[in-house]
Amino acid sequence: MLANIHARLEQISRLAVWIGGGALMAAALMVTIDVLFRKFVGITMSGSDEYSGYVFSATTTWAYSFCLLHRSNVRIDALYSSLPKPVSACLDVVGCILLLYYMSIMTYYAGIAFFDSYENNSVSITTLATPQWIPQLFWFVGLLLFLVTLIFVTLYTIVALLQRNWELIGKIAGVPSIADVIEEETHGQDVILATGETLDGTK
Amino acid sequence: MVFGILIGLLVLVLSAVPVAAVLGILSFVLDEIAMDGRLTAALAEIYWEKSKEFILVAVPMFILLGEIMLRAGIARRMYGAVIQWLSWLPGGLMHANIGSCAIFAASSGSSVATAATVGTVAYPEIKQRKYNERLFLGSLAAGGTLGILVPPSINLIIYGLLTDTSVPELYLAGILPGLSLSALFMLSIIGACLYRPSWGGTKIETNWGDRIRSLPHLLPPIILFIAVVGSIYGGIATPTEAASIGVMVALIIAASFRTLNFKMLREAFEGTMRTNAMIMLIVFAAIFLNFVLGFMGITQAMLEFIAAMGLTPVQTIYLIVVFYLLLGMFMETLSMMLTTIPIVFPIVMKLGVPEFSDVWFGILITVLMEAALITPPIGVNLYVVQGIRTRGGKFNDVAIGAIPFVIAMLAMIVILISLPELATWLPNLVYH
Repeated sequence: MLANIHARLEQISRLAVWIGGGALMAAALMVTIDVLFRKFVGITMSGSDEYSGYVFSATTTWAYSFCLLHRSNVRIDALYSSLPKPVSACLDVVGCILLLYYMSIMTYYAGIAFFDSYENNSVSITTLATPQWIPQLFWFVGLLLFLVTLIFVTLYTIVALLQRNWELIGKIAGVPSIADVIEEETHGQDVILATGETLDGTK
Repeated sequence: MVFGILIGLLVLVLSAVPVAAVLGILSFVLDEIAMDGRLTAALAEIYWEKSKEFILVAVPMFILLGEIMLRAGIARRMYGAVIQWLSWLPGGLMHANIGSCAIFAASSGSSVATAATVGTVAYPEIKQRKYNERLFLGSLAAGGTLGILVPPSINLIIYGLLTDTSVPELYLAGILPGLSLSALFMLSIIGACLYRPSWGGTKIETNWGDRIRSLPHLLPPIILFIAVVGSIYGGIATPTEAASIGVMVALIIAASFRTLNFKMLREAFEGTMRTNAMIMLIVFAAIFLNFVLGFMGITQAMLEFIAAMGLTPVQTIYLIVVFYLLLGMFMETLSMMLTTIPIVFPIVMKLGVPEFSDVWFGILITVLMEAALITPPIGVNLYVVQGIRTRGGKFNDVAIGAIPFVIAMLAMIVILISLPELATWLPNLVYH
């Protein structure tokens, strides 16, 4: 069952990331048009900077969960990689718990920022006067998704720890191997690994 | 106190706790102990303000641009073109490795992607043309590091954000050192191959006709570079706007190569969002820590400590260099920058040497980060190059092969310290 939830969370996170990427590309288009109009037509459309800031805030938090499930949160593995499996597995669990502690605080304060803006009807101090709670809602929802994922991953690793399933802990919360890192960074585009196969499975 | 913090930080970081959690929790604890919770009181507001910071939008934009270019399918053709232009030098293809990495790096922000992509294209040539494998692998690992010095560089944006330094000035400042470092890499190769001509492999026949015909393959990265960097210095765009323009240009380039499709975009989005989340998770934590440390007067304590040692400014800089070289053997570069700059930067500024400016230090620290990428035991690029060796071999081959390039970097550091103008001349010319 836990594996199923893990897979489901991965699907949701991936969807969030696609939406985020699309929004970012749209923001790039908006900013580019703004610049071109300003330069060549002499019209300044105010607001593309403000909107892209909002897009950025939401796309960042929406991607946290994906980042965690793909084990891309930065950890220093100088000692880690030379430790015996059970010890590094324990460090994985401790790492999850500390990250959970930190992110709970951040999510709590982001929640305060959102509810305050909503109650006080705060607007941005620009000509757009955007009600702040709207972008803050998207931002906050991303953090909530991350928190849920983080709670799940932490519980999952603890269960695996009790079962002494070191392999599983490594797979869900360990520091990825260099082959994994290269795959994540390039998606195998033009890259052939020492295993002799390209990463998308073709020879 | 200061050393307590540093040691605590080191222990936590070395135990592989997520760096964001270490920095974040540390800033909360320090806030509680030394600032009566001033950070916590303003946390909601600071967090939101920084989360929508326009200058930071440049980071995911530059990543997206790189992700699109990576999938546009330009690497192989570009490498072929660079071969035409550079392989007549003693050391042949190894110069093409450096050159391709430098050009590729100007569009891709990731040193891992740069080393892996150029590495895969170049690797089969080692056997085919009988190169010295170690030196060849070293040139790939070293070439990949150029990505963070040659603009557009994500590291420089983050440095600019943490230290309130102008990113356009940093980008300008990176150009000459980036070219000089590439030249030093090439000199290392030439030196090694004059000493042992057999290391240089068999010669490749090139001619001017092929050179001219290869030029179009170099165009995509050059167009992109001009669009991005040109729009900043043409006064048309801020770095964030330039990055957005770059994303559009990259899409057009991919479309012209017929590599633009839904699947490719989806992969580019995944890569971009993942890397951006990874960076921002630590950046926000580092911003809080920066806030607390600035308030606590840690800098004053460090300055008194350094004054007590009776060092001259230049000696202090060399001490900092040694500190980073040692740290760089064990730490990943982004976390290293984010954890140390809040403490080290104010020290450098208080040295009272006008030449050692904020812009200059940004470049110095970036070269130090490059060295960290290729110094064992933890040097990401060494592992990446090891990872693409389809015929296998010892990790030591890559590490040993990288030594001449580490020496070139050390030379670069000495040059930067003795001749700060190498970095500051161009930005001063344009902005002051």
